[in-house]
Amino acid sequence: MAELTFSLIVMGISLFMLLNSAAVAVYAERRIAAFIQNRVGPNRVGPFGLLQPIADVLKLILKEDVTPTLGNKALHTIAPMLPVFTALITIAVIPFGEGIYITDINVGVLYLLAVASLGVYGVTLAGWASNSKYSLLGGLRAAAQMLSYELPMGVAVASVVLFAASLSVVEIVDSQEVWWNIIRNPLGFIIFTVAAFAEANRTPFDLVEAEQELVGGFHTEYSSMKFGMFFLAEYMHVVIASMLITTFFLGGYHLPFAGLWLPEMSPVWKGILDVSVFVAKTGFFVFFFIWVRWTIPRFKYNQLMKLGWEKMLPLAILNFVVIAGAILLYNEFF
Amino acid sequence: MLEQYFPILILIGIAAFLSLAFMLASKLLGPKRPSTAKLQPYESGMDPLGEAKDRYSVSFYIVAMEFIVFDLEIIFIYPWAVRYQELGIGTFWAMMVFIAILTLGLFYTLKKGSIDFDLRRVPQNRPDIKP
Amino acid sequence: MEILNDMLLYLPAIIITVAGLIVMMVDAYTKNATMIYTVSVASLILALAASVYGLFGPTVDIFYGMATTGGTAAFGTALVVAATLFVVVLSREYLTSINHNFAEVYTLILFGTVGMIVLATANDLVTVFMGLETMSIALYVLAGIVRDEKTGIEAALKYFLLGSFATGFFLYGIALLYGATGTTRLADIGLYADAGLIYWAGVGLLLVGFFFKVSVVPFHMWTPDVYEGAPTTITAYMATAAKTAAFVSLILILERALPLAVEQWSGVLVVIAILTMILGNIVAMVQNNVKRMLAYSSIAHAGYVLVGLAAGTAAGYSAVLYYLLAYTLMNIGAFGVVAYYERHKGMQFNSVDQYAGMGYKQPFMAVLLGIFLFSLAGIPPFAGFIGKYQVFAAAIQADLIGLAIVGVLASVAGVYYYLRVLVFLYMKEGTEEIELTQAGFPYRSVLLLLALLTIYFGVLPGGLSELLAGFHQGTLYSGTPLP
Repeated sequence: MAELTFSLIVMGISLFMLLNSAAVAVYAERRIAAFIQNRVGPNRVGPFGLLQPIADVLKLILKEDVTPTLGNKALHTIAPMLPVFTALITIAVIPFGEGIYITDINVGVLYLLAVASLGVYGVTLAGWASNSKYSLLGGLRAAAQMLSYELPMGVAVASVVLFAASLSVVEIVDSQEVWWNIIRNPLGFIIFTVAAFAEANRTPFDLVEAEQELVGGFHTEYSSMKFGMFFLAEYMHVVIASMLITTFFLGGYHLPFAGLWLPEMSPVWKGILDVSVFVAKTGFFVFFFIWVRWTIPRFKYNQLMKLGWEKMLPLAILNFVVIAGAILLYNEFF
Repeated sequence: MLEQYFPILILIGIAAFLSLAFMLASKLLGPKRPSTAKLQPYESGMDPLGEAKDRYSVSFYIVAMEFIVFDLEIIFIYPWAVRYQELGIGTFWAMMVFIAILTLGLFYTLKKGSIDFDLRRVPQNRPDIKP
Repeated sequence: MEILNDMLLYLPAIIITVAGLIVMMVDAYTKNATMIYTVSVASLILALAASVYGLFGPTVDIFYGMATTGGTAAFGTALVVAATLFVVVLSREYLTSINHNFAEVYTLILFGTVGMIVLATANDLVTVFMGLETMSIALYVLAGIVRDEKTGIEAALKYFLLGSFATGFFLYGIALLYGATGTTRLADIGLYADAGLIYWAGVGLLLVGFFFKVSVVPFHMWTPDVYEGAPTTITAYMATAAKTAAFVSLILILERALPLAVEQWSGVLVVIAILTMILGNIVAMVQNNVKRMLAYSSIAHAGYVLVGLAAGTAAGYSAVLYYLLAYTLMNIGAFGVVAYYERHKGMQFNSVDQYAGMGYKQPFMAVLLGIFLFSLAGIPPFAGFIGKYQVFAAAIQADLIGLAIVGVLASVAGVYYYLRVLVFLYMKEGTEEIELTQAGFPYRSVLLLLALLTIYFGVLPGGLSELLAGFHQGTLYSGTPLP
């Protein structure tokens, strides 16, 4: 019972943080973009424009909700709920600190992959239900892109599983107490990160909403908070992707080589330290996502598919095979 | 065992509730002034031409099918990846053969132009073998 | 290493798998037609040698009991590989002449053959399913390889839809049998004589799946259209190799998994065999299209095979194996000659009327067709006669005299439509002027070889019969029934 109470507390805090982090990420994106482009950015609402996201959300809620004629109303309504929903339930298995997680299931990795692949439905349904050519094309592109990049992502995660010999996310983090996976498996880290960009539909892979050709992509026909939910989900996915990169490759809540030098601490202090480390790493990757967006131009669609299928997937498989063999050899001789 | 899934169940409930709540908020608070022009699908200001649900490139279907094939491969890899250090060298080679065959299949489909989105249509590079 | 030893015993399948992968890669990267053909033929010859060698090897379970070697399984493997070899040689010339000589055909034939070998050597329902699907998926595509003809697309689509439906039945049958007995291993299922309603439902659905694949009445609806729409040599492949594999697997299942339920399934097979023989022969009589006629005749022949299976005795099983050999030889031959005629006028050229007077233009081919048709009709001294004789004799030994009488009468009726083709070939005046070109040397020699083998196994059945009878001496499982 105490366990359940604890996990409910963690759930409440993490959900609150996740929803807020999306707002913070929006604000950060706009400020950092302004900084990179030598502009000022939002600075009117509240001190330094900090209240800008709240103003945005309020505005969106108060706008009219339009469903195009001949569109499929039910699907049109369900579509924006899906990405938000999947983003929210992803945090169930991510450990934020030693013993600080909502739940630890022995198939956590499969859970993450399953939830991640649900995200495709949102964009595809949105594209289909809108009865608009831009939307349909955007939705199709999004579906094909997300499917293509799910494969290298899956193989990269499998190469992480090799080290941990477990599908539990908590054990994967524990296996990195001394050696982070980014050191043992750098190629996997790169592949996973790139795939995470594609999965979150972020530049340089944001073809789904390539404004120059597809207007708004799959959310062309969305207005009001329905659009807001896609927007929210995009930033939550950025945060989630950062969390996953941190968890799988940067040792989660562990400091570098923590197993070697970190002294015993009382649970409270350890908890505070762990969560701060985790938040810091996640924050860095959110910044990294934004940084890339305002630095790198967008791919062409055929290049995107070629990169995914011809480069990333074979590379990921090769990486997996080499690591599997190397671990076997290591076990044999040491 | 199964009680570990209970928090996930609660989380699913909360997530569903939250996404519904966002949806309803704008439904309730937003104005409702529909008009014909507003409800038309957007086509850069022109009246929409034809149906939106047209036929689209077969490449999308092919990508979807390939995804199914290789996603199954990956799902097959996971349980092996967890246990292979205990299962010994025989299983290792068995899995290598499995991966090798599927990788050959991947190269085959790539070479056959399954993801050639840059062409107007998928090339007819079928080798009509001449004797 | 036990697994390496197992792989050695499974060599035919492994050779063909590797060859299939090589052909696939050659197709993708160099598109070298000669190389594709050479690799296919060479691998099939190697695999044939390996499987004939396996014929004299031990009957053991390999891969932890998932597959079996020697005996029936080895014979099935050898037969499938031989049929594939003939089909590949015939296909090259035929498909080139109708401009559909795609490299995919060879890849698919090789992978389909792997599926058939897996099916014919399966010792576990899961392996059976795997083989069946590998085979079927390759065949679905092959049936529609002539995709610019409506009939080709019809064939592929019909075969695919009905085939997937049958697969559903089959899989459900496996699931129910597993539910009833707790195992998918054939020999372990064989320990049960009766495990309640679920068991019988499972057996029934399993048999329905097989009946579909071997196209017996009332699961034959797809056969004529598919056989007509597919390219003729591919039709030969579907009619012989695929059927052989399915029947061999059925023998293994009946012999190992259901030996104690023999009375029940024997009754079912008797009814189905009678229906199949009567309907197949009667409908074949009114066909004007030779390919359709051969399709219905292949349904009828499946009926004769079922006669041998219905006997449920060692003699019945070895008779079935002999029959399958004879059927494979003469059917590939007949389809080969039909394909030869067809290529002069495109794929629609197989009406009986169009064959009028062709017998004198290329006498060699017409004589070969005559041999194959006589053999199909069951006239001595050809292999078809010995096959039928053995099958009916086994039925009579098993006290299925009524069934044997129906079979004999049906096959007498069948003589009519086989001879009708010959009548048109030799005794009618042709209306169309058509020049027949000489077939290539490999094509002719394969057909000649098939004809010679048809005669050889018709005249001297002794050695092979003894070998086949040896497979089943004392191997019939007779476990004690579990409570």
